[in-house]
Amino acid sequence: MTPSATVSAYTPAPERRFNVGDRVRVKSTHPPGHRRTPAYVRGKLGEIERVCGRFPNPEELAYGFDGEPRRVLYRVRFRQSDVWPGYASPSEDFIELELYEHWLEPA
Amino acid sequence: MNRNPADIGGEAAGPIDTVDHGMKFWEKQANALRNTLTGGKVVRLDELRRAAEELGDRYYRLGYFERTTEAMRNLLLEKGLFTRSELEGKIEEVRRRYDS
Amino acid sequence: MSHDHPHDHAKDEGPPSEHEILSRALQELLEEKGVLTAEQVRRRMELFEAEFPQHGSRVVAHAWANPAFRKRLLADGKAACAEWGLDLEADRLIAVENTPRVHNVIVCTLCSCYPRALLGMPPTWYKSENYRRRVVREPRAVLREFGTVIPDDVSIRVHDSNADMRYVVVPMRPKGTEGWDEEQLASILTRDTLVGVALPRV
Repeated sequence: MTPSATVSAYTPAPERRFNVGDRVRVKSTHPPGHRRTPAYVRGKLGEIERVCGRFPNPEELAYGFDGEPRRVLYRVRFRQSDVWPGYASPSEDFIELELYEHWLEPA
Repeated sequence: MNRNPADIGGEAAGPIDTVDHGMKFWEKQANALRNTLTGGKVVRLDELRRAAEELGDRYYRLGYFERTTEAMRNLLLEKGLFTRSELEGKIEEVRRRYDS
Repeated sequence: MSHDHPHDHAKDEGPPSEHEILSRALQELLEEKGVLTAEQVRRRMELFEAEFPQHGSRVVAHAWANPAFRKRLLADGKAACAEWGLDLEADRLIAVENTPRVHNVIVCTLCSCYPRALLGMPPTWYKSENYRRRVVREPRAVLREFGTVIPDDVSIRVHDSNADMRYVVVPMRPKGTEGWDEEQLASILTRDTLVGVALPRV
């Protein structure tokens, strides 16, 4: 691991499925257990805002496993009007959060 | 459909108490305890979150530090860092010390 | 009754709650088992109390004063902080900037993730269920509860720190701060402005 990779917000993820600007849909599934994909975005359509890198899977870490192999984490941007029915605002507002690759499908 | 009591983004709710009520001494210490344990890799933050979520309905009845303390207890017992009877003994000892 | 371990007994008023007793018991048991020391816990308390809360306003004041640093901070928060001499420990930081067209606000709906190494402990409202429930869905109304009104032509961007990143807002630098040094700039960069529920005031 290069020094810059340990002191950075990002770790390289060359083998990734999605790129910045890609339209993605969050899987509409409600599995049991520890998940970091909030219910409010499941099934919703968004856009990759940035690639955060590869991290151990928190869904596994939560149970004492090592979370390997690492999963690619993305920041995904959603229009609020695509997330909440009847979202009312004078401007186009957005919500952005981090989603793991296995939760995303190409849209 | 949410099984996870922590997954509450978007739910209807009342006004927010926008005043910061700060932390009591014991809460600051509980926070430091948690931080020492995660920093020392004795427990992972992900495990703690999961343990808090496993509190189920209790999640909503507890304050933030009450929740994290119960989650910590459950997790440390799960990991076998001490036994339930050791913990109960220590709780009694601490309680007696406060009472004296 | 004497004890030879130098524990801080209840410094809070009133009898201890069951959870306070439990928390003390956990700590003491772990100390006895050699898992940690009281000194380690005390040191973390000091860091959270005295050191961490200073960092955020200083970093953002520096970004206001230094456009090249600002650019680096926005590109990679953790690397920029490290290069400036600030160790964010485990936090991976993403700095998001307010502009005349965009206002940012931070939340963790699933728990209370927060850039602690930059801002110290989150305020009670940030950890509250009502903030976590509502700010993602009606940010404008929530900001109004904090006394912050965002103009109609400004887009709001909510950041839910649900995974490994932590966030800090870089507010717009207000008029009237021309020629201010970094210490003065830091003084108006309150915690609430860095989370996005308030705007810096001259």
